[in-house]
Amino acid sequence: MEPSRISRRRDLPEAGLRPLAPVDLAPLLGIWVNFDLKSRGIARLELEERQGGLTVRVFGAAYWGEVPAFPFTDGVGLHAAVAFNAFYDFGGVRVTLACYLNKRLLVVDAYTTFHDGSGRSPYFARDHFYIPG
Amino acid sequence: MEVATLMRAEEGLPEGVAPPGGIADLSALLGTWFNTDKNTGGVVRMVLAGMPADFTVHAFGAGSPPSQEYDWGSTGAVAYASGVASPDGMAFSATYDFGFVETFLAAYTKSGILVLDTFNVFKDGSGRSNYFSREFFHR
Repeated sequence: MEPSRISRRRDLPEAGLRPLAPVDLAPLLGIWVNFDLKSRGIARLELEERQGGLTVRVFGAAYWGEVPAFPFTDGVGLHAAVAFNAFYDFGGVRVTLACYLNKRLLVVDAYTTFHDGSGRSPYFARDHFYIPG
Repeated sequence: MEVATLMRAEEGLPEGVAPPGGIADLSALLGTWFNTDKNTGGVVRMVLAGMPADFTVHAFGAGSPPSQEYDWGSTGAVAYASGVASPDGMAFSATYDFGFVETFLAAYTKSGILVLDTFNVFKDGSGRSNYFSREFFHR
């Protein structure tokens, strides 16, 4: 089916490429550990395939729990996952994780907003992760 | 006000530091940002404008033919500092919902460059894969 609507040229599949479903989650799966052992941010992420979907568990100063994660490829006609995002809502704190693979590294950008009247600024944080072994 | 359990140590204010009360300075973000790749098929340029309370992004997508642009219009954006104690905006996020595709923008500044990640989810049954892009901009 030829896409009828685009918001930019990248929304069009390149000639000869066909999207394959479902997305191959394998590049993302595993236990990712922060390179910086002294990080004050996220220490570890666990990405798992479950019933065809992707889930993430995050460990920081506390365990964040498990939420759905949403995989992305590198183009409209490709099928290997190269990125994901996920959203945590702790009530007074909300965190959007915007993550992508860079070679064998997982780059995790966390966009955090506070809704607890604490006066803290919303903030951006970046950490880099690898799969041990 | 007492802060609840920290999910990350970095969420806590440094000892003796008062909370800034949010973002106060957007100067590192405001202006027109141009893609460093003149042949991009993604976002051509973005205009970041407003005050912290009404901060907006206005993006333009690469057209076909390249001489044309897709005007995405203006949408509200959220500014972020580099830490909870800073009032200086250095990153932002925003969402465009075009109906057939929803695009989440996640961007940050570094050494005068704006790095933009987009996360694109198709909702039109076209079979296109949801995709990620990463692009670089200068003012």
